[in-house]
Amino acid sequence: MMLLRLISWPYARKHRLRWMLTMAGIVLGVGVFVGMHTANQSVLAAFRETIDKVAGTTQLQITAGEPGFGEEVLEKVQSVPEVRAAAPVIEATVSTGQGNLLILGVDMLGDRSLRTYDLEGTDEAIDDPLVFLAQADSLIVTKTFAGRNGLQVNSRVPMRTMQGDLIFTVRGIMKPGGLASAFGGDLAIMDIYAAQKFFGRGRRFDRVDLALRDGVTLVAGAAKLRNLLGPGYEVSPPSSRGEQFEQTSRIYSLASNITSIFALFIGMFIIYNTFAIAVTQRRSEIGILRALGATRSQIRALFLTESAIAGSIGSGLGVLFGILMARAMASYIGNILTDVYGVAQRADGIQVDPVLIAGAWAMGIVTSLFAAVIPARAAAYVDPVKALQKGRNQALSEGESLLRRWAALDCAGMAVVAVVFSRSTVIFYAGFVLSGVAAVLLAPSLTLWLSRVLRPLLAVARPVEGTLAADSLIQSPRRTSGTVAALMLSLALVISLGGLARASYDSLADWMRIALNPDLFVTTAQSVTSRTFVFPASLGDGLRAIPGVDEVQLVRSVRVPVKGGPVMLVALDVGSVERRAKLPPVEGDAASMYRRTERGEAVLASENFVRLHGGKLGEVLEIAAPNGMLKLPIAGIVRDFSDQQGSLLISREAYIRAWNDDSVNVFRVYVKQGARDSDVRQRILDTFGKQQRLFVLTNKDVRDYVTRLTDQWFGLTYVQIAVAVLVAILGIVNALTVSITDRRRELGVLQAVGGLRRQIRHTVWMEAAAIGFIGLVLGLLLGAVELYYAIEISRRDLVGIDIGYAYPFRTALALAPVILIAAFLAAVGPSESAVRGSLVEALEYE
Amino acid sequence: MIHLQGVTKQFAGKRRVTALERVDLHIARGEMVSIVGPSGSGKSTLLNLIGGLDRPTEGEIKIDGQALSVLSDDELTRVRRDKIGFIFQFFNLLPTLSCLENVSLPLHLRGWPRKKIDERARELLDLVQLGARLEHLPDELSGGERQRVAIARALSVFPPVLLADEPTGNLDTHTGAEILKLIHDLHDRLGATVLIVTHDAAVAESCPRTIGIRDGRIVTDVHRELLRK
Repeated sequence: MMLLRLISWPYARKHRLRWMLTMAGIVLGVGVFVGMHTANQSVLAAFRETIDKVAGTTQLQITAGEPGFGEEVLEKVQSVPEVRAAAPVIEATVSTGQGNLLILGVDMLGDRSLRTYDLEGTDEAIDDPLVFLAQADSLIVTKTFAGRNGLQVNSRVPMRTMQGDLIFTVRGIMKPGGLASAFGGDLAIMDIYAAQKFFGRGRRFDRVDLALRDGVTLVAGAAKLRNLLGPGYEVSPPSSRGEQFEQTSRIYSLASNITSIFALFIGMFIIYNTFAIAVTQRRSEIGILRALGATRSQIRALFLTESAIAGSIGSGLGVLFGILMARAMASYIGNILTDVYGVAQRADGIQVDPVLIAGAWAMGIVTSLFAAVIPARAAAYVDPVKALQKGRNQALSEGESLLRRWAALDCAGMAVVAVVFSRSTVIFYAGFVLSGVAAVLLAPSLTLWLSRVLRPLLAVARPVEGTLAADSLIQSPRRTSGTVAALMLSLALVISLGGLARASYDSLADWMRIALNPDLFVTTAQSVTSRTFVFPASLGDGLRAIPGVDEVQLVRSVRVPVKGGPVMLVALDVGSVERRAKLPPVEGDAASMYRRTERGEAVLASENFVRLHGGKLGEVLEIAAPNGMLKLPIAGIVRDFSDQQGSLLISREAYIRAWNDDSVNVFRVYVKQGARDSDVRQRILDTFGKQQRLFVLTNKDVRDYVTRLTDQWFGLTYVQIAVAVLVAILGIVNALTVSITDRRRELGVLQAVGGLRRQIRHTVWMEAAAIGFIGLVLGLLLGAVELYYAIEISRRDLVGIDIGYAYPFRTALALAPVILIAAFLAAVGPSESAVRGSLVEALEYE
Repeated sequence: MIHLQGVTKQFAGKRRVTALERVDLHIARGEMVSIVGPSGSGKSTLLNLIGGLDRPTEGEIKIDGQALSVLSDDELTRVRRDKIGFIFQFFNLLPTLSCLENVSLPLHLRGWPRKKIDERARELLDLVQLGARLEHLPDELSGGERQRVAIARALSVFPPVLLADEPTGNLDTHTGAEILKLIHDLHDRLGATVLIVTHDAAVAESCPRTIGIRDGRIVTDVHRELLRK
């Protein structure tokens, strides 16, 4: 403690700016980790809470994927002696004139044994079922929603339904709390039979909620119901509904983990750099301590303690920063999930998990300690005699460089071997890490080499300023190489993510050209992915009869459980699709795969389904359906981006047989040659628009929507890029701040012999530009390698699609000015401090 | 050539320290003057103020008739660049630059053409007898040789004023004597005004005029030529 107070504290106070910059790396790393995980957890917690509120006293829920099931299931369930109460439910998210609303269609008679409806004023709306049954336009809204929109009992609420634009009447207002607080109060109750009618469900329910009799365990009750209903039905507690949500946010968790680990990794370099330089600068201090009797372990402990304190403060600030960031991120994640799944989910408050905070804190401290291990060891082994002699100790010894180079070559060699044996996930990821380690180990040698290459070029540009800038880099490889390594890693991340995004957009564009080639799409919502409402199949005939329509394809997309997870099942007219929009086959016989699928003998699996769920060509898939287990082989594997978790294409006839569901999500309409899309679109709207909820999207609308959706998914990539560049800038500022301190005397001499302020500034700027340039060159090269890994990780573990390698030359080209400008900005502060200080002090500085 | 009137220099800190107090001094063109005094007496401060490295708290300094107090930082730098050459105790050579590059440095800063710079730098290194060590780095030279390079750098534009702060302080007696002889030779040949701050009595006595400073004030001003006369 005494050493800390007498030695470390004055040094830290003297170099406040550097310590702040050093800690900034940790702040960012921990902040991003805490922020993104807290946001994820908060949204998830809010969703779980909502599920609980909507579930009421429901113990088990019966579902059969998104298609739901026929009304007869309810009677079967109610007949089970172990079941105390069972009530049907339909859930639909709709947009009203007053914002988005989750409509819960319930049977008011039976449902009150599961959920509590606490209404303001009289309970006539629920006490008298006739109010609801006889008046299908009845709605019960929450106090929150009513308050927000100025509604009262008997107020009118417009809503676009499958029966066209209708006006609903508020019959009751629920008091806040419980069910009424689910989805932030954006919830309304409708009679189940009205919901069937208005949301196009026919005589089907989305699910049945039930409670068991006293003494019946969940396990026993669920087993009984499974036996009764068969494999096509899922019987599970309400809490399991969060799994789908969790699966979706899994990609965000992974992305946020990568970003925060990357930020911490770069932060580690900055800390290493700072401590390595501190050891060099404090050599004489260490020498004096050693001469006065300090042991090696005391010196080592001193530096490690400094590092732990820096890590602890940085982590603490990072946690605060993360919590602040979580508020913004929660709304962002909530928005994305809402857009994709139609679930209006908001986290009203941030759920701070003490375990997560403690873990993040520990992670920051461990990173900081890890970064300081080598410099602390170097400090412990400082020779007191040499340390007390004047002079510098910056250059890496030849032996040290040689050792690094050999280690780098070993790592690179092992990474190449790992690529050959990359079938094993462990070996693949080991190769990924080794390639990064090899690059980091080679960074000092490459930095030195590139600095030497740059010296004559900079000297030509500015003889004094350029030469001194290059010499500063050559003279202090330790100071420079840490920053260059951080910059290199950051830019490699940018290149790999940018390349991944570019390749994804290219693949997506290819797929959209083939798969999304109908001229018009008739949908139930403005987004093609919304599956809240469905059309009756009969509308298909009506559309075919519209003048100018050449062909209509009926598409039903539903998420059903396959191989233990929800998978998108796309039921369509396979023969027509083969003719009009044949998806590129990845595996299987292109000629027969469509025929077999059309006959209902097989399914087509998307490339990402096979990768993510572990299927293979010819494998017989078991798909649980209400009419029994469907066993269909995979006849072919095709490239299809319909769903992130993979999709299965099945013939429409086979689907109808197995699910008793002939409804349609989207009609794909091909317009006759010579007919104008806009004319046909208008005819469809004129004919059907008033009768029912219906949207006609043009091909461009759909493509723009898909591109927008992809932009949103890649939105986080830009956050990652911003974090990476920010950390890199911090690294440059840190290196330059140290450089200015190191070169204080040199810069003083320069001024003493006639160097103008602008000339001093130029030399600092040129040094920054040189660091930026070297980092850029190495980053772009490493990026080429990391892009390979990014594409492989995406293929193996994220979206399962092989999008092909294409180096993002445009991104690389765009990065050059960004980094050089960033380097310049990073140099502004240090260069000003270089010219503002006392010249006399600079000349006396040792 | 050098004129100081009522020059005071104070350093602010926890306690205000007066390094020089109301100093008046006139040094004529071509004079060679030594400044002596105990540590902390203010002699280096005086040299820094004359050299334009620092500014006085009060008073006026004129170099070649030009008042320094009214100049901006860049104008002050131009005065240093054109009229003053510095020789430091610890040489202050840039360790990464060769002898030739170190001497060329002030000329590059003035924007001279490369060819002319090269010629002048070689000429100066010949003058200080280091013509054979053009490409050597400072680390490859002895202390005396380093100081010669520093002197060559100080003379790069043949400034009218040469300021030397303990030029022999970091050298052994023999090498120190050689450097002192070199400075005298250059003074005789180039006719520059030379000011040497020193602790060394021999160095001080070798100059025709010696100024003694104590506690920030000039306490003696000995003109040996006049005494001899």
